[in-house]
Amino acid sequence: MRSYISVFKMRFRMELQYRGAMIGGVLCQMFFGLVLVALYRALYEGHPQSVPVENVVTYVWLQQGFFRMILASDPELLDKIRTGDISYDMCRPVNMYGFYYARIMALKLTGSIMRAVPMFVMAFLLPKGWGLSLPASLFSFLAAIPALMLGLLCVCAIENITVAFTMITLDPRGIQGLLNLLMMILSGNILPLTLFPDSWQKVITLFPYAQLLDAPIRIYTGDHGLESILGVYMLQGIWIVLLLAFGIYMWEQNRKRMIVQGG
Amino acid sequence: MNTLRLYIRSMGMLLRSHLQYTSSFIMQTIAQLVMEGGEMMAVILIVDRFQSLKRWTGGNLYFFFGMMAVSFYFTELFGRGITGDFPSMVRSGRLDTFLVRPRGVLTQVMCAGADPRRISCIAVGIVALIIGSDLSGIVWSPLKVLVLIEAIVMSCLLILGLFMIEAIFSIFSVKSVELVNAITYGGRSACQYPIDVFPLALRMLFTVVAPFALTLHVPASWILGKPLYGWPWWSAIVTPFSGVMVFGFMSVLFHLALRHYRSTGS
Amino acid sequence: MSYIEVRNLKKNFVVKKKREKGKLLREKETVKALKDLSFSVDEGELVGYIGPNGAGKSTTVKILSGILTPDDGEVSVGGIVPWKERKRHVKNIGVVFGQRSQLWWDVPIIDSFKLLKDIYRIPDKAYEERLGELILALDLEDFIRTPLRLLSLGQRMRAELCGSLLHRPGLLFLDEPTIGLDAVSKLALRDFLKWENKEYGTTIMLTTHDMEDIAALCSRVMVLGHGQKLFDGKLPDLLERFDTVRNVSVKYADGDPCLKLPEGVMTKKTEDGLELSYEPAKLPTAQLLSILQDAGNIRELTLQPENTDHLIAAMYKELDL
Repeated sequence: MRSYISVFKMRFRMELQYRGAMIGGVLCQMFFGLVLVALYRALYEGHPQSVPVENVVTYVWLQQGFFRMILASDPELLDKIRTGDISYDMCRPVNMYGFYYARIMALKLTGSIMRAVPMFVMAFLLPKGWGLSLPASLFSFLAAIPALMLGLLCVCAIENITVAFTMITLDPRGIQGLLNLLMMILSGNILPLTLFPDSWQKVITLFPYAQLLDAPIRIYTGDHGLESILGVYMLQGIWIVLLLAFGIYMWEQNRKRMIVQGG
Repeated sequence: MNTLRLYIRSMGMLLRSHLQYTSSFIMQTIAQLVMEGGEMMAVILIVDRFQSLKRWTGGNLYFFFGMMAVSFYFTELFGRGITGDFPSMVRSGRLDTFLVRPRGVLTQVMCAGADPRRISCIAVGIVALIIGSDLSGIVWSPLKVLVLIEAIVMSCLLILGLFMIEAIFSIFSVKSVELVNAITYGGRSACQYPIDVFPLALRMLFTVVAPFALTLHVPASWILGKPLYGWPWWSAIVTPFSGVMVFGFMSVLFHLALRHYRSTGS
Repeated sequence: MSYIEVRNLKKNFVVKKKREKGKLLREKETVKALKDLSFSVDEGELVGYIGPNGAGKSTTVKILSGILTPDDGEVSVGGIVPWKERKRHVKNIGVVFGQRSQLWWDVPIIDSFKLLKDIYRIPDKAYEERLGELILALDLEDFIRTPLRLLSLGQRMRAELCGSLLHRPGLLFLDEPTIGLDAVSKLALRDFLKWENKEYGTTIMLTTHDMEDIAALCSRVMVLGHGQKLFDGKLPDLLERFDTVRNVSVKYADGDPCLKLPEGVMTKKTEDGLELSYEPAKLPTAQLLSILQDAGNIRELTLQPENTDHLIAAMYKELDL
């Protein structure tokens, strides 16, 4: 457990060192957010929808703020796979699945918190209808936090599975690109899931990708009653168990294969 | 003429280099296809829900999307040296080897990078153009075809010019990726939709600073028969030339910056 | 006027220091890479350019090859100021950077050469002729159709040399060409450079850490330290200046005699003879030899100069580099 915590601490410090890149990143992300908000506002003119435009705008800002959580985050790990250095790691006595799970989570958490906080402050200050709205109620705000945490556990498990796949194919870029895209579309980053055709939404919101940001955002904007919130938690929990189990299984298979091949 | 031959030979060699890793190349090309397909899918879903964007029909939106995709990915296909590889050329010292050869540095940079995987993105863009043209009921004339080609070429030059900002920064070893991304990739995201739906500040940005409005939207709107801001027909021929102006201006800055280049490493 | 003329060359770099705690902006520091460097090189000379890391060797070569613009001073190579007329200047120079390649990684090297032919606008006939000649001289035939990435280090360096000489430059810069090469490759490379220099009168400027390169190739050596020229002359002269201690081993036919040696000579008995180290400055070699000869019947005598690497280290130390 201690080694996991130290991974966290190290990442946090490293992240802090690159303040310049972070500020640039936040401004860039703000710009993308503004463009999207302008687009949706223009689309809504004369075409009112069942989802109010304020909710779509809030959806955009929360997505932009937590952008780092979706993106595959560990270029070092991918390099290790490409060069084959990963086999050294696999033979270490530590549980490598747990180690990389902690590492990926640390990257996602530090990267997104440090960008999200300044972004949300700025987005709150924008004029009404352009900026981030307050949560529907204090309750929906509080209920969104555990959903976000569960979503994070989910996405880290997904990324570990991706990593396991790239270990088999030894070509990270292709697979990584495909899975990143799947993630971007199905998590609602390119187009809010709330704007997908209604019949699609019923299916897509069940996918693991939707658990990361779409589920907590819908809770935040007050789309769910108490009962359906519990349902969301349940669904997230089920996905976490399934994805963890599958990921651990794949890593174990990879480890066995590598030990047999001798790296 | 000799420069053109040099460029073509370089492109051939780049393609062969890529094909040394065939399966990886195919995989990545497919990944690009899915990626750009996903972008188009978002437009399709938007059209499905909203039918139109202010005065623009769904077909119009596909046409704009196609124009931007074709321009942007042609630039990445042929100008990868500027749009992606330049900072690493500086870091690895490859720029030094360009400087000791009797050719323009920009020519050599352009010759040193190509991204043939983008061919699949261009294909998506062309499909969008055809669907958009069909749904919008465009009646093509030779002049319209010429204007379309002009608009795409000029937009490519504009995009190259914008990416050169990053190149110039990296000559001074300043990391600027994120901020330049806002104007390049941000420009692509915003300007794949008609510019007049955006508020004034964004319209100004993409007319004065990064004039996608002039290279892409003015001619595209004229081709669609809905002139932008009601400007006369000849503006569709004249305004795209701002693309070559931006490119020229940035090239001058690029060469000025090279005078202050401090080659790193020993 | 000489082929290469360098007068009062100066170049400073501004280096950003690491950000200190509590300070918002990073402090800047000016590093003087070259301070007032002057020298000249005649056409056809083979010059070794040595000095410890950071002495300003690379900076000089980069200015001479037109990559960097100096802050102050004059440079003319064959009448051209490199950074003012870059393209005209580089037509006539070849550069081999020891660490970075100018050939393509994934394609056969012959294709890289064809591309260089286009880059330098070499006419077909001249290209064929020169390539044939270089293939023979550098022994490239066996791997000319192999991609660069599959070649050994020695083969790679030969290919690089071929690439930078295709356009028959009058001036060739070599930056540590023998680094990492095995003995056979090193010798072959040196032979080639000598040949190229003799055959075409190509002026060669060589930076290296390998003293054997210099000893084998260069009639003239320049030592650079702290951005200044510290020595310029023949290698033996340089060695003599810093050649403070020498060794002699001597074997006598009938047992070691008792030697009467002046102070300052160290004697060491080994299995089959004596080893003496002395300072030629204090005790001339001829005098020592006559003392040894008078002492008995000499069977074998070897005079060993100090290892050049040690000499250079001693020199750097003495010059406080």
